[in-house]
Amino acid sequence: MELLEMKNIVKTFPNVIANNDITFRVKVGEIHALLGENGAGKTTLMNILYGLYQQDCGSIFWKGKEVSFASPKDAIVSGIGMVHQHFTLVPNMTVLQNIILGLKEEGYPFIRTDDISENINSLAKSYGLEVDVGKMVSELSIGEQQRVEILKALYRGAELLILDEPTAVLTPDETSEFFNILRRLKSQGHSVILITHRLMEIMSVSDRVTILRSGSVVAVEETDKTNSDSLANLMIGCNLPEQPAKQAHFCGNSNSPVLELNNIEIEKEGVLRLAVSMQVYPGEIIGIAGVDGNGQKELAEAICGIQAVSQGQIRFENQNITSMTVYKRYRKGIAYIPDDRHHDGLVLDMNVRQNLMLRRYRISPYTKHRSLNKNKINEYSKICIERYQIKPTSPDTKMRLLSGGNQQKAILAREICNEAKLIVACQPTRGLDVGASTQVRNILVEQRNQGSGIILISADLDEVMSLSDRVAVMFRGRFMGIIDCEGETDAQLIGRMMGGHSLEEGESLHA
Amino acid sequence: MDQIFSIAFLTSFLGAAVSSSAPLAYAALGEIYSEKAGILNIGLEAIMLAGAFSSFAAAYLFGNLWIGLLGGMLGGLLVCMLHAFLSVSLSQNQTIVGVALNMFMLGVTSYSINILVSSSTSAFPQVTTFPKLPIPVLSSIPILGSALFNQNILVYILYLLMIISHIFFKYTQWGNSLTAVGEHPRAADTAGIQVYKVQYISAAVNGIMGGIGGAYMVLAQLGVFTENLTAGRGFIALAIVIFGRREPIRVALAALLFGALEGMQFRMQAIGVNLPVQFMTMLPYLITMISLLGSIGKQRDPGNLGKPYIRSNK
Amino acid sequence: MRKYSIQTLRILTYIVLTLALAAFLILGAGKNPLQSAGVFVRGIFGSFNGIAEVLVKATPLILAGLGISISFRSGFFNIGAEGQLYIGAIASTVVSMLPLGIPSWIHIILAIVAAFLFGGIWAFIPGILKAKFGISEIINTLMLNYIAFNLTGILVRGVIQDKTDYLPQSPVLQLELPNIFPPTRLHAGFLLAIIIVIFIWWFMERTPDGFELQAVGLNKRAAECLGINVVKNIVLASFLGGGLAGIAGAGELLGVQHRLLEGLVGSSGNTAILVALIGRNSPWGVLIASVGFAALQVGANTMQRQMGIPDAIVSILMGFIVILLLCDGLIMKLVNRVLVKEKS
Repeated sequence: MELLEMKNIVKTFPNVIANNDITFRVKVGEIHALLGENGAGKTTLMNILYGLYQQDCGSIFWKGKEVSFASPKDAIVSGIGMVHQHFTLVPNMTVLQNIILGLKEEGYPFIRTDDISENINSLAKSYGLEVDVGKMVSELSIGEQQRVEILKALYRGAELLILDEPTAVLTPDETSEFFNILRRLKSQGHSVILITHRLMEIMSVSDRVTILRSGSVVAVEETDKTNSDSLANLMIGCNLPEQPAKQAHFCGNSNSPVLELNNIEIEKEGVLRLAVSMQVYPGEIIGIAGVDGNGQKELAEAICGIQAVSQGQIRFENQNITSMTVYKRYRKGIAYIPDDRHHDGLVLDMNVRQNLMLRRYRISPYTKHRSLNKNKINEYSKICIERYQIKPTSPDTKMRLLSGGNQQKAILAREICNEAKLIVACQPTRGLDVGASTQVRNILVEQRNQGSGIILISADLDEVMSLSDRVAVMFRGRFMGIIDCEGETDAQLIGRMMGGHSLEEGESLHA
Repeated sequence: MDQIFSIAFLTSFLGAAVSSSAPLAYAALGEIYSEKAGILNIGLEAIMLAGAFSSFAAAYLFGNLWIGLLGGMLGGLLVCMLHAFLSVSLSQNQTIVGVALNMFMLGVTSYSINILVSSSTSAFPQVTTFPKLPIPVLSSIPILGSALFNQNILVYILYLLMIISHIFFKYTQWGNSLTAVGEHPRAADTAGIQVYKVQYISAAVNGIMGGIGGAYMVLAQLGVFTENLTAGRGFIALAIVIFGRREPIRVALAALLFGALEGMQFRMQAIGVNLPVQFMTMLPYLITMISLLGSIGKQRDPGNLGKPYIRSNK
Repeated sequence: MRKYSIQTLRILTYIVLTLALAAFLILGAGKNPLQSAGVFVRGIFGSFNGIAEVLVKATPLILAGLGISISFRSGFFNIGAEGQLYIGAIASTVVSMLPLGIPSWIHIILAIVAAFLFGGIWAFIPGILKAKFGISEIINTLMLNYIAFNLTGILVRGVIQDKTDYLPQSPVLQLELPNIFPPTRLHAGFLLAIIIVIFIWWFMERTPDGFELQAVGLNKRAAECLGINVVKNIVLASFLGGGLAGIAGAGELLGVQHRLLEGLVGSSGNTAILVALIGRNSPWGVLIASVGFAALQVGANTMQRQMGIPDAIVSILMGFIVILLLCDGLIMKLVNRVLVKEKS
């Protein structure tokens, strides 16, 4: 029986068609996976279902009747619950208080703690979601918090549960426990939409999988009739864009790496977020592919010094920089293009000139005798603006007023300055239009040709494939494999790695 | 030194402590609602001043203490609504709003009492204060009974409000929702709670109770309003809220403690202690700072305290 | 062209609204606004004494306001200026009373430096608590206000008390800031304030340290990612802020009152906060706002003396202006709507 049918859904945003005529169906008692890379349209589609967005065209049928949800409240009342990637639990309140938040229970306005506890406990028991309802949420592990989120939805009568990347925050043990919970839910007649990019998980627990790519449905498969390889194929597509002509590797000191990461690890709240080793050579672009949230940010911040590593060593030009400050690392030649330019990379309320100075206001010739040298600073701004074609051209313009592309170019201008030996670029073209993206990519390739080593972290696989000399795929904080990109590259292999399969140790791949 | 232990001394001392801590308790109780909903109202002093003056004006002009009380509630309410409008609807920095309101209301009330006095027929306008109402049986309990139950009606109302507040936060859904708004407004929003509405309502409670706090000084203690009557009690109330960890019963006890310290000022000579009075007046602030230090590492403030909630649609 | 007119319209709106309120308040007191305006202006400009009084009153506001504006700009909400003023005054008193046997001009400088140091420490405490432990500085600076005030009270009744009359005040200090314009009260503290305005302007706009402070105040997270030591900057800003307020206290002590007593500082501490806000946290803005407020105060005092208009008007107007500033977004929206209507 069709529980849910989303028919011909179209949703566009200013720059992009997020959902392009998508039809998506879920049966009663089914675990249905929704697979796709970043930007494929999964989150948009689910946000429409949950009432956070309204679709431009298309209709939604719930239990056979056409519905329209103006807000999450409507969706919840109809029986749809969603557990987001970032939990909406109040840490300083108990589990019980969180579960009944906003509800009108019997005895309203009073909270009949004993009765409600009993109800919650028996509900929890039937799904294997036992948790201590009197405990503060802040005292629970992430896995336990997730149970509370699921209980919250079930308590409100959810028949369909949407889970957004639920295993992203779980350890492998917690993950298998989690699958048991999903199976229990299914056995009790609930349906689950599992948004994920993890192929092994899809294979082990789902009944069907819908694959989205660039806003459209590319396939709907019965899980027991397919395998990881085909799914990987479908997820990223077989056609890779032409690779732009790249100059041969810079023949400098290409035997010794500019950056070495030796077994570095980062642990947060008891979960291992990063555990990698790698070398980066001068004159190469090493792309880091993978779905967002698999440790990319931790990798970037570890290299730049913003995040300390709990283990391992970082070497830059054969010098141990593991405990070196952010400032010193920049002085040594490590540039950082952050993924969140508004929060991490720019001071929006300062003007262009001031932002360009943010890395060099303490050094001569910009400062002499503890005093800022206006002329040199102006000169420098003019050079940057001209070379990187930043618009508007007045250095007094407030950074807030620049377009995304120009803001990014300003960051590049500031960071690179022809002195950078290593550039860590995170999602450098995110949110930029085609023109700006091309400019940014050209700048990176130019730097590579001049001998800088570049770490390109991007969720855009096309971008990674077309620019990189080598590609490493990140999954759950580790590298699943590092492969060279000469000639034809096996897209399918990359897709599998993004979904969690690792390359056999010792094997490197050339086509 | 034996005087300090005489029953008469203790009784009178405790009774005075209860009475002088009442304005602090009222203001602090109201502030709990505001802070738990995420609004740090530095302008509590302004609210108390507004309540004090408007209660006096109303009581004097209408010749009725109860109308005075209503006036006090209204005065506090209006000022707090202005604070809420600036902080919640305009998302301005709550500290700045509070500081501005404090100076503004100090001016407004000083100006107004000036005008009132110069335009009144008598040279020293005043009102008769609320009488003491001993509660039968309870007030006969030695020491405590007389201290707690031989007070004016406003103190008894305070006891009720204390208990209601305690029940509100601990045992009701409303308290649950309000707490969520201050801790994690996005979670509350997703759960269907109207964040701004809740914040405005808590501001209303804050204003009304703070207004009564100010009104108490006029209607139950002094019978007159003079410039800067509250003299910083609004700030002591803020300290009380922190020291009492934003729990109604704790806060009431803290208010009693601080009120007692205030009362000690006048009795220190009597019990032969020769410390300057300022040690006593300094103590509440010192105690509060120390308790703040003690909370290093623990998350005691509501998660979103002092920050405006701006709903960002992804 | 349009931008120019929006700015002027904004300033005009503020002035008109404030004047309207002032007129309303004067009428409420039963007096004639135009007549009052005359008295007001004459009170300020009518004599050298009037102008001098304005500058005397402006001095502590400029100094404390500068300190507060630096704190605000770096994201440290210092509302404890009053306490820092008192601590500075206490430090100056102690140093002034020490029999050091050095020429008095060195002695004064030492007293002022002491005020700066101790005022700075008083703000440093909440500063380090915020930078290192994330404890909100709002309540802390507030509490320290009252502790400082009461400390003053204890000292002037105890160790620092003038034993000749047993009043709660210190003996008259021999050390004093020279009078620069007798017979008025104008003292060298004013000149010091002007010098410091220029210094602070240079510091914030022309030095790498000031630039760094600004960056931290505007985007702490980005500053961190760019390698700036955020803790150091918050602590520095708090220390500077407190130090300047301390100097303001020293100024009042050595230039005006000449003895330590409660109420030395009046409401300068809190007024300085409003001055910093109205001056948009810029050194010149603080200077103008301080002088403006002081003029308001002097004029209003004259109106009270000669016409019986309560000088509480000043507090009302100051608070009102800040409230208007907080509503700026709303005001400009309404102004724009009016403009659009007029065009069509």
